[in-house]
Amino acid sequence: MLVAFLESVKYTGHLVAISFLRIFLGYYYFQQAFAHFKGEFLFRPQIAEQISEFLPLSHAPEWYRFFVTAQFIPHWQGLAFLITGFEFALALSYIFGYVVRPMALLAVFFCMNMLFISGAAQQDLFKTFLAIHFVLAWVGAGRCLGMDYYFFKRRRGIWW
Amino acid sequence: MAFGGKTLRHFVIYLILVYLVLFLAVLNRESKKESFEVSQSVRVFAYSSFTSITGPGPKLKALFELSCNCRLEFVEGNDAGMLLQRLKLESESLGADLVIGFDQYDLQKALGEHKWRKLDFSNLNIEPEVRPALSNNYFVPYDWGVLGFIARKGELKLTPKKLDDLLHSEFTRKIALQDPRSSSPGMQFLFWVIKSKGEEEGLRFIQKMFDQAHSYSPSWSLSYGLFQKKQASLVYSYLTSPLYHELIENDPSYEALSFAEPLAIQYEFLGIPEYCKQCELAEKFVNLMLSPEGQKILMEKNFMFPVLKDVKKGTPFQALNDKLIKDKSLMSFEIPSNTDIDRLLLRWSELRRGEKN
Repeated sequence: MLVAFLESVKYTGHLVAISFLRIFLGYYYFQQAFAHFKGEFLFRPQIAEQISEFLPLSHAPEWYRFFVTAQFIPHWQGLAFLITGFEFALALSYIFGYVVRPMALLAVFFCMNMLFISGAAQQDLFKTFLAIHFVLAWVGAGRCLGMDYYFFKRRRGIWW
Repeated sequence: MAFGGKTLRHFVIYLILVYLVLFLAVLNRESKKESFEVSQSVRVFAYSSFTSITGPGPKLKALFELSCNCRLEFVEGNDAGMLLQRLKLESESLGADLVIGFDQYDLQKALGEHKWRKLDFSNLNIEPEVRPALSNNYFVPYDWGVLGFIARKGELKLTPKKLDDLLHSEFTRKIALQDPRSSSPGMQFLFWVIKSKGEEEGLRFIQKMFDQAHSYSPSWSLSYGLFQKKQASLVYSYLTSPLYHELIENDPSYEALSFAEPLAIQYEFLGIPEYCKQCELAEKFVNLMLSPEGQKILMEKNFMFPVLKDVKKGTPFQALNDKLIKDKSLMSFEIPSNTDIDRLLLRWSELRRGEKN
């Protein structure tokens, strides 16, 4: 696997720059996830507070607002756990370049949701992240400086 | 299979593993936390200017935590007018043991939408102006204020002395007001006009005021910010606002204007939800807020009048009370019905929509 890791630079060298972006984003999400894990995010209804503060101001469709209000707010603990877990999974995936494509597509979906439940100050950040995740999924950023190259070499397929 | 198959299996197993590890880590953290936890935590839901560093919240919290062997945690709402909407949305999941910041126009709605614990503070030695506000069993007033228009000294060519003067061309697009749908001072202004002029005449006046208003801000702080940035010449605010500038900013250039109409009083209430978890601690915090010490903090930080007698004696608040309030007639206390509030808000919204179109 180590050989494949080094070999990836040779065969997918055009992705080196974007791989650094991927690793940086992985580091960013790891920090976020760790802060959520160490702080009160999992134990206090911070996410429910955030949703009820910003959802009425968002341009989200009515059915989405109804769904979020009915499902997310009462079950904030589950939602906080899902978010923190996803941030850890995304962080490790981006840092090690493992299952980057499917994770990046999930991240696009994640950012779309966060866009509706975050304040104006964070919306631009999530829009930027959304675009980056989409590009990472598109180019298969895990194939360079990542484990995905090892699996791609052996199994092929569009998900690596 | 090239599409999915083993790759997706990798993906799913990876996700399951991450969540499993996180689950175990959270469990481990919880058990450690429980074994080290020595104190309880009481959650207080209040509006942002109460919980901010400059508000009374942090000082009251510090004082409370000295004696309660517990932790007090503020859950911050936006404007006081938004507290009920947020309570309605989140209900028990908010986990509030005490809610601070209703005014008299919220009480019926709060009673209708939630269950509250009975509170008995009828023996409090309170100001005569506040006595009528103690008539309900569930909410206790902890401070009160009088609302009116604030201006910068010497800036106005014409000083308004009654509501109709506000329609003068000098004030066109110069008055900072609040949206009654989201802000409690906004609601106070609406009722002030309706009480002073009657419903039909009052709404006609409100319609004319749309031309005079610089904007209808969603919260008091936004409208006051506009006024401070000199985008507006007048703002509907608390009569204690000039005192704030004088005492805190050493700036005596603001004044509260006298009006012929009886002025609106806002009482701020607190209540303990029926679903509270730390009900006794919440009640202890209420006792602190209604003690002379707590009332002094509220007066000095919230810039509202205390409900307890004698707390403001010898302070600039007493002088203001004498100068501004005793000389004038004030609106009597009443708790309007939900139907009245909803009807007036609907009519206001219709007028506003018509104005925008």
